[in-house]
Amino acid sequence: MYQILTKQFIRSRSTVIVTLLILTLGIVSVLMGEQFLNKQQRAIDEAAHYQQEHIQQNAQWHADDLGLLLYYLRFTFINSFDPLTALSVGQRDVNSSIQRITIRGLEGQKYDTDLHNPTNLQVGNLDLGFVIIYLFPLLIIAFTYDLLSEEKEGGTWRLVSSQANSPLLYLGYKLSVRVGLVYAVWFLLWVFALLKLPLSLDTNALVFIGLSGLYLAFWLALCAWVVSWQRSSSFNALSLLSVWVVLAVLLPASLNSLLANLYPVPEALSTMVEQRDGYHEKWDVEKEVTMNGFFAEYPQYQKYPLPEEEFSWLWYYAMVHLGDAESRQSSEAMREKIRQREQASRIAAWLIPPLHIQLQFNDLAQSSLDNYLSFLDGTEEFHEKMRLYFYPKIFEEASVGKENWESFTPEYFAEAPEVNWGLALAPLLLFTVGLFLFAILNARKLKAFE
Amino acid sequence: MLQAINLTKSYGAFTALNNLNLSVQAGDIFCLLGANGAGKSTTINLFLNFIEPTDGQATIDTLDVSQYPKKTKQLVSYIPENLRLYPNLTGLENLEFFCRLGGKRHSNDQLEELLTQSGLQADFIHKRVSHYSKGMRQKVGIALARARQAKVLLLDEPTSGLDPKASNEFSELLLDMKEKGVTTLMATHDLFRAKETGTHIGIMKEGVLIEQFASDEVSFQDLEKIYLQIMHVV
Repeated sequence: MYQILTKQFIRSRSTVIVTLLILTLGIVSVLMGEQFLNKQQRAIDEAAHYQQEHIQQNAQWHADDLGLLLYYLRFTFINSFDPLTALSVGQRDVNSSIQRITIRGLEGQKYDTDLHNPTNLQVGNLDLGFVIIYLFPLLIIAFTYDLLSEEKEGGTWRLVSSQANSPLLYLGYKLSVRVGLVYAVWFLLWVFALLKLPLSLDTNALVFIGLSGLYLAFWLALCAWVVSWQRSSSFNALSLLSVWVVLAVLLPASLNSLLANLYPVPEALSTMVEQRDGYHEKWDVEKEVTMNGFFAEYPQYQKYPLPEEEFSWLWYYAMVHLGDAESRQSSEAMREKIRQREQASRIAAWLIPPLHIQLQFNDLAQSSLDNYLSFLDGTEEFHEKMRLYFYPKIFEEASVGKENWESFTPEYFAEAPEVNWGLALAPLLLFTVGLFLFAILNARKLKAFE
Repeated sequence: MLQAINLTKSYGAFTALNNLNLSVQAGDIFCLLGANGAGKSTTINLFLNFIEPTDGQATIDTLDVSQYPKKTKQLVSYIPENLRLYPNLTGLENLEFFCRLGGKRHSNDQLEELLTQSGLQADFIHKRVSHYSKGMRQKVGIALARARQAKVLLLDEPTSGLDPKASNEFSELLLDMKEKGVTTLMATHDLFRAKETGTHIGIMKEGVLIEQFASDEVSFQDLEKIYLQIMHVV
C-alpha cells in the first residue's frame, strides 16, 4: 500500500518541484550558516591579531603618557558563539558579537556595530531556522491541503469509500506518506548540516533538532485539522495560507508593534544625551564638583593629587566616568524595558508557535536578545575591570614600557543557554496533540457523499 | 441477494426515494430505468451505505448495510458513471491499489490477466491512467470487481458516454460476470442496454418504483412504450 501511495504522490510534478525547492533552500541556508560561522571566526581571529598590533603601535607612539595611550587603546571583548548560531543567526546578524572598547565612557561604545553588517543587510541572510520556521510549513501545506479534497474533486473518493475497509485509515496512510517525505527532507537537511557544520550532537543540538521536528508535527496537525473539515481544495489552501500569514507574519509583527507601544523606550535617546552632556558639561564645571562625584564611587583614588590649573588624566577620567554615571539610570531603565518586551514576547509566543520556536532556536544558538543583553552586562563588567586595572597606573603615571601589553589578548563572554524543556516543548506539544485529536474527531464523520 | 425493504430517503421535505421494495436474486442483473432525479442513484448510494436511509432497509446477502457496513462492503464492487482512477498510476497499479484497499492481494501476473480478461488492451496495462479513455477505465472497474471476487455489482450509469462498441463490450463483461453468479444492480438511461443485458427491469419516477418485470417478458418496443407511457402519464 505504502509503495503505491508513494508512487502516486511522488509522480506528481508539483511534489518533485516543491521538494527540490525546499531541499535547495535548506542546503543554501546551511551553506550561508557556514559562511556566517567562518566570517565570525575570521573576525575573532583578526580582532586578536589586530589588538596586538594596535596596542604595540600605540604603545610606541604614546610611550611617555599612559593616560593618553589608554585614551586610544581598545580592548576586545567577544561574545563567544556556538556552532548552532549558523542555524539560527538571530540577533547576531544585527548586534555586534565583538566589542572593541576603550576605558573611556562606555555608553557611547556599547552599540557600535561591526563593519560587516551593511553588507549583510544588502544581500539578505538565510538560516536553516528560517527554512524550518517559515518555509517548511508551506511545504507541509502544499503536500496536505488537498489530502481528501483531491479525491472528492477528482472523483476517486466514491470508489475509495466503496472499497476501503476504513476510509479514515486510508487517509491516515496517505497522510503518513506525506509526513514521511516532509521528515525525509528535514532529516536530509540535518544530515547535511551535521556534515557541513562543526556541530556536536550535544543536548542543545538535540533539543534544537527535536524542537524543529515537533514544530513540523504542529503544522502537520494543523493541516490535518483543516483537511478534516472536508471542504474544497481552494478553501483548504486559502485557509491554511491565511493561518500561515497570521501565525508567521501578522501576529509577530503586531505583537512587536504592540510591545513597542506598551514599553516605549525614550531612554534610548536620553541615555545618549545624558552620557554626552554628563561628560562634556564637566569641562565647564568646577573640578571639585566632578571629583567629588568620582571619589564618591571610587574613594580609593582620593589619595592621588589633582593639579588645580593644568589638565590631568585623573580629572579627565573622572569626567568621562560621570558621563556614564549620570546616564546610568536611563541606561538601566532602557535595559529593563527591553527585558520586559522580551519577557512579554516569550509569554505571547506560547500562543504563536512560529515565534515560540524562533525564540527557542535563538536561545539554543545563543543568538537571542537575552544573550545580547547578557553580553552587554558582561561588557560593562569587562569595561569596569579594565578601568579598575588601569586607573591607578594612570594616576600614578606608571611607565608604559613596564606594562606587559602582550598579555592583553581578547576576552570572551560565554553563557550556557538554560533550556527549560517543559516550557520549550509544552506549547507545541499541546497544540499538536489537540489539533490531531480534533482532526480525528472530525474525520470520524467522513462522508463518501456530499 | 439484494433487497430493499420500504427503503426511503428524504432530504427535508423532498423525498428522493419513496418506500422502495425491491429484490434481486443471485446471478440476476436488475436494471433500474428512469429519468434524472427518479431515485436510481439514491438507491445505489443507499446500497453502498454512502447515505443513511430515512426509513426502511437495504440488505445485501440478508445483511443490513447500515448495521454491517464492513461485511457488506466486502461483498460489493461499485462502478460509477465515470470511474475515476489515479492518473499518476498505471492501470495495473490502480487495480493493485484498490484491491489492497479492500484487503485483497494479487500477484502482478494475476492482475494483468484480470485486466486482459476485462478487455483492456495489453499495451495499456502499464500505461498511466491519464492516457485512458472512459471505456478503458470502466474495464479497470470490471477487473476490480473480478479481483475482489465481488458477489454484487452496483453500477451507476456505467455505459453513459461510452461509444456503442465500448458499451457493447461492457455488456458482454456483465453477462460474463452473471455467468459466474455475480448479482448486478445497474442504474441506467439506456433502454436498449437494459433489455439486452438485464434479467429484470424496474422503471422509476420521482422516487417511486412504478413498474418491474423480467426483461424477457417484453420486447424492446414494448419496453420503450411502457417507459414513455410512465414518463408522460404517471
